[in-house]
Amino acid sequence: MADVILFFGTNADTMIATKTLKDAGVTAKMIPKPANVSTTSNLCLSIDSGVESQAKTALAGAGVALGGVVK
Amino acid sequence: MRMSLRVRLLGTIIGAIVLFFIISVVAARIVLQRDLVDLGKTEVTNSGGAFGGYWDSRKDQIRLLVAQDALSDALRKAVQSNNVSALQDQLSNIARTSGLSFLTIVDENGNVVARANGPERGSLKGNPLIARALTGETVSTAALLDPAFLSGEGLAPQAQSDIKNADGKVVEHVDKGLALVSAAPISDANERTIGAIYGGILMNHYYDLVDQATRALGGASALLDGNAIVASTIQQPDGTRAVDVLVPNASDVIKSGQAYTGPDTQGGTVYLVRVDPISDDQNTVIGARWYGIPMSRIDDIINHTTLTVLIWGFIAMVLALVLAIPIVQNVSNTLAERSHQVRDAAKELGVIIVGAEVSGDHVAATKAAVEKSGNVIAAVAGGDTNRIGELKSLNDELQSDMIVIDTLSQEMGNRMKQAVDRVEQLNEVAGGLNQLVTGESA
Repeated sequence: MADVILFFGTNADTMIATKTLKDAGVTAKMIPKPANVSTTSNLCLSIDSGVESQAKTALAGAGVALGGVVK
Repeated sequence: MRMSLRVRLLGTIIGAIVLFFIISVVAARIVLQRDLVDLGKTEVTNSGGAFGGYWDSRKDQIRLLVAQDALSDALRKAVQSNNVSALQDQLSNIARTSGLSFLTIVDENGNVVARANGPERGSLKGNPLIARALTGETVSTAALLDPAFLSGEGLAPQAQSDIKNADGKVVEHVDKGLALVSAAPISDANERTIGAIYGGILMNHYYDLVDQATRALGGASALLDGNAIVASTIQQPDGTRAVDVLVPNASDVIKSGQAYTGPDTQGGTVYLVRVDPISDDQNTVIGARWYGIPMSRIDDIINHTTLTVLIWGFIAMVLALVLAIPIVQNVSNTLAERSHQVRDAAKELGVIIVGAEVSGDHVAATKAAVEKSGNVIAAVAGGDTNRIGELKSLNDELQSDMIVIDTLSQEMGNRMKQAVDRVEQLNEVAGGLNQLVTGESA
């Protein structure tokens, strides 16, 4: 399945989101921000589109603000 | 429900003050009750003594009147001439102007010559006081007048009464009379005893003495014939005097001859009383003097003091809160500010810890990609040119990983600088809290 890119407001949020998804059992890979994504953070997360819903739930439960999703 | 620090502190202050005043009020009431009752006992004892002074003064007054009458030339001449009519008139006038209940003259054999109260004759030979007077002695004492004598003097109706208990039931009948009496010899020109004069005041239903004592001493006073009130200033709920009623506490006084000091209920009112025995010339207890003050006077003082303590306690609590609220507010604000600083620092340090873990994971993943890339390079060098595309893809991934590592490195560098600042801030918070708690600078 195609990758989905999650982006956040800051690099710190991206790191916390990575840790949150790891604890939730969701595999996420940290990648440089693509040119078409508009955010102040330099980093984004790439996840499999099949676990998008699970990832969003885990982030919402941990109180991590999601900046947006690029598919 | 969890309460805030300022609610807890103010609650503790209010609770401490309320507890302090509850204990103070209870202690004050106990101490006041004991001390005021002791003071009241002293007061009724002293006033009972003063009532006894009025009693003795009246006895001396009767003795003086009778002794003076015994020396009266007019009476002596009338006795010598046996002018009964003149004697009756004179005795009647003297008794009326002197306030005596009876005044009687007997001859040297104890036979009645004349009475102030009428023409009744008879013999008083068996009267021990008159017997002593006929021997030349002037005597004065309290006495119980027997019904026969009272009848002869026309005083029986004044003395007789049915005595009721607290329930209003008749429990005994009184027919003897409590009196202050005096007897003195009448002598002729040769100092030979030719008779005696015997006078006194019957105290049953006679209110002059108790009224005089109450006017001077306050409270209430009463005279007891045996253990029954026969004259008093004790007011009943309907405004009448409490008389012809039993005083149970007086029974022991009559039996033992010892004074009683303590509570007694009369006319529906609880009094703190002093009951002193009244003895006759043979030292036999025949009645008692009762003096009391309403217990409500003591209770009023206790209640007034309690109310005063409570009012001032409330004022003190308000003042304490006025002073305490800004202090509590200041402490709460300081702690809230410190709490925010600690929370911010914890958040920052938490990001660093998370960042370190995430960075470590990413480096490990990159290392794995490098090793995989090395294996592919070796395969291509060995002639497996089909894997060149895979090698290019791995190279792109490694370039991306390197950018991420570089970014994480910069981010963590900045975070570490901030962490140093946060640690300093935490030290400052710790110092501030220590100063707040101990008052000492860290």
